[in-house]
Amino acid sequence: MSLCRELRYHWYVNLLGRTGLRVRRWQATWQAKSSSRWKSEVLTPPLKISAWTKELIGRHYLKGNYANLHNKVTWVTSGAPVEFLQALGFYILYPENHAAVCGTVRLAEEIASQAENAGFSQDICSYARTDLGTVISGKTPVGRLPRPDLLVACTNICQTVLLWYRVLSHRLDVPLILIDTPFIYSQVTDHAVEFVKRQIEEAIPTAEKVAGKSLKMYKLEEVAKLGLQASELWLEVIERAQHRPAPISVFDQFIHMAPIVEMRGNPGTVDFYAAMLREVDERIAQGIGVIKEEKKRLLWDNLPIWYRLRFLAEFLGRRGVAVVASTYTNAWGELSRLIEVSRPIESMARTYIFIILNRGTGDKLSVMKRMVEDFHLDGAILHSDRSCKSYSIGQLDQRDRLMREVGVPALLLEADHNAPRAFSEEQVSNRLAAFVEMLGV
Amino acid sequence: MAAVLPIHYPRSLLRAFDILPVEVWGPPRVSTDYGAAHLQPYLCSIVHNALSFLLSGGLDITEVLVVPHACDSLQGLGSILLDFISPKQAVLPVYLPRGTRESDIAFFAQELRSVYDRLQALTGRSPTEGELMDCIEREEAADLLLIQLHRCHKTLPLTDFAFYRLVRSREYLPAEQFATLAQEVLARGEALSPDGIPLVISGILPEPMSLLDALQGMGGRIVADDLACCGRRLYPPGESDDPFRRMAERIIHAPPDPTRGGLLSARLNHLLGLVEANEAKGLVFYLVKFCEPELFDLPDLRQELRQAGIPSLTIEVDVNNPVSQGVLNRLEAFLEMIG
Repeated sequence: MSLCRELRYHWYVNLLGRTGLRVRRWQATWQAKSSSRWKSEVLTPPLKISAWTKELIGRHYLKGNYANLHNKVTWVTSGAPVEFLQALGFYILYPENHAAVCGTVRLAEEIASQAENAGFSQDICSYARTDLGTVISGKTPVGRLPRPDLLVACTNICQTVLLWYRVLSHRLDVPLILIDTPFIYSQVTDHAVEFVKRQIEEAIPTAEKVAGKSLKMYKLEEVAKLGLQASELWLEVIERAQHRPAPISVFDQFIHMAPIVEMRGNPGTVDFYAAMLREVDERIAQGIGVIKEEKKRLLWDNLPIWYRLRFLAEFLGRRGVAVVASTYTNAWGELSRLIEVSRPIESMARTYIFIILNRGTGDKLSVMKRMVEDFHLDGAILHSDRSCKSYSIGQLDQRDRLMREVGVPALLLEADHNAPRAFSEEQVSNRLAAFVEMLGV
Repeated sequence: MAAVLPIHYPRSLLRAFDILPVEVWGPPRVSTDYGAAHLQPYLCSIVHNALSFLLSGGLDITEVLVVPHACDSLQGLGSILLDFISPKQAVLPVYLPRGTRESDIAFFAQELRSVYDRLQALTGRSPTEGELMDCIEREEAADLLLIQLHRCHKTLPLTDFAFYRLVRSREYLPAEQFATLAQEVLARGEALSPDGIPLVISGILPEPMSLLDALQGMGGRIVADDLACCGRRLYPPGESDDPFRRMAERIIHAPPDPTRGGLLSARLNHLLGLVEANEAKGLVFYLVKFCEPELFDLPDLRQELRQAGIPSLTIEVDVNNPVSQGVLNRLEAFLEMIG
């Protein structure tokens, strides 16, 4: 890296950008103190930590804007083992998270249409279409995305990501590391874990070559330790929703999960979730819930509907329904017990193969049943997500079993996590209204 | 008898346990009502039909249900069969690795060993390595004949319909019976190339098969394929002396298939090779709706084929529907354009 490029990077990212984002955070925090600015009759004001979340995400993408001046860049799937990449100093971009950002700011449709114009079918994952749309057109709400030097696809969330990353590798002419995680139908086998471990071991020299440096074991352990701390804190935060009234909803969790996904090996992420936990505990102490009058509590299964979070929160909140637990946000904390800092590669193999989407449909039902009990839930909404077959298959049986075996009503809600065209507000409203009525609200 | 779902699986391993594998590619044109109680409408018709066929008793004759892990939908189907549906057949999922690395072969060999263990527990039999190797060699011989049939495709004295009926009999006939049929056809020798505009077909399966007659009636003919049920399963002989490793090598070294990962450029080169070697004038992507493995590759493959001067056409079908007039019109227009 030339001195000039480094100076440019530090000027824009660490001086101008950092200062700007910090000022914006102070402004937002100050404004949040005045609850009169909050415009909702049913939802309580958002967590004060929200301004910090925005700063973290903003800083992450700001770094991304200039990352090619300073770092080697890797694009990874959301369930990929990233600890070794982080320890090697890569700037790590999660195209799925970027697509979710596009969804929340209502740009996903416009960007995905660029991919559709290039021939990609509307029947493929809407995250992939959004990402490919950005690759093709350069359109993004975050300035610009850095060009990758390396791609890493891990099949523990779906096979779709491999299909998607093959296209990226082909179009961008960038090497692709595959971490293939055999699906766990019932019991995990030793040869499957060994296979994942071996692939991580084989991936390291490739990543080292791209990074131009060797992996230091102490650095890897440090990243694993920070990741473990952040995951434990995240799990504590979301489990606080077991309190009644719930101090945090899944809609809050969807927004505040960005750092645990994108920045889980950073010291700042640990500080962030520690502060978030403190604020959530303060809410509990003050008896503040996410909605003004909590009557019923629900589970959310599957990815969020990014472009309708506020609508869903308001619609349900108006009827006294708080959605307080989610199989999706839980996935980023439930495996923290498997992380062993002193054996990072072995534990990475074991942890990443156990991600909820890589386990059987019966296992997911068990997670839901446990959550119904632990979070004192009155029902469940299963988002049948056109774009995520691996998460959605099994939901019809899971819904039936929840109703039959646990005795809670469950609703299958047809939509798509990032494609507004697959969301019919009228239809969703009718179904939700009927469901809420069934809950006896 | 074992019912086997698409796409890749170790035939010889099943045969070593005296189990006859019969493949279930849908099947086409069954009522999907039973499957709809368990599966969302945005899954492909092959998966819907397979479950419907099973639940309606169509597979009652089988004792084992093999579910290779080809895609997210088949993964999910295998999982709900095990966790919720619990059919009378024993369900055997098989995970296929997505690479061609040494670690993939080693893993897959281990995976096949565990399938062996499950079959052993199920049948009470314990075929020796020698018996297993005999089965492998028998399947290899049949597969070599299958490769030969595909190589001679354009000069065989068979209509496309007859050719695909023959090669697809590999989906249910024992290797030795298939070999007899294949040898008989190959012994007839080459015929003069029939008339027709030579095409390569790519996709999952050529259903409904009446499409082939219709295509020939319009003046086209298939000279090679990249179909999941046919050309992507021309397994080369293995090399290892270890039977499990050998079975793994065969599947991993098969022609490119997006469900087994691999580089897109390898698939493109394979298609270009098929077109060039068979002097095809165009390529038809004949896809099953909602099939992500096919849909992701499509734009880049079509664009680069175009750059190479090879026209292509995409047709998306549901295996339950008859060939529509719309599809026939598009094929006819495509043939006119390239003819």
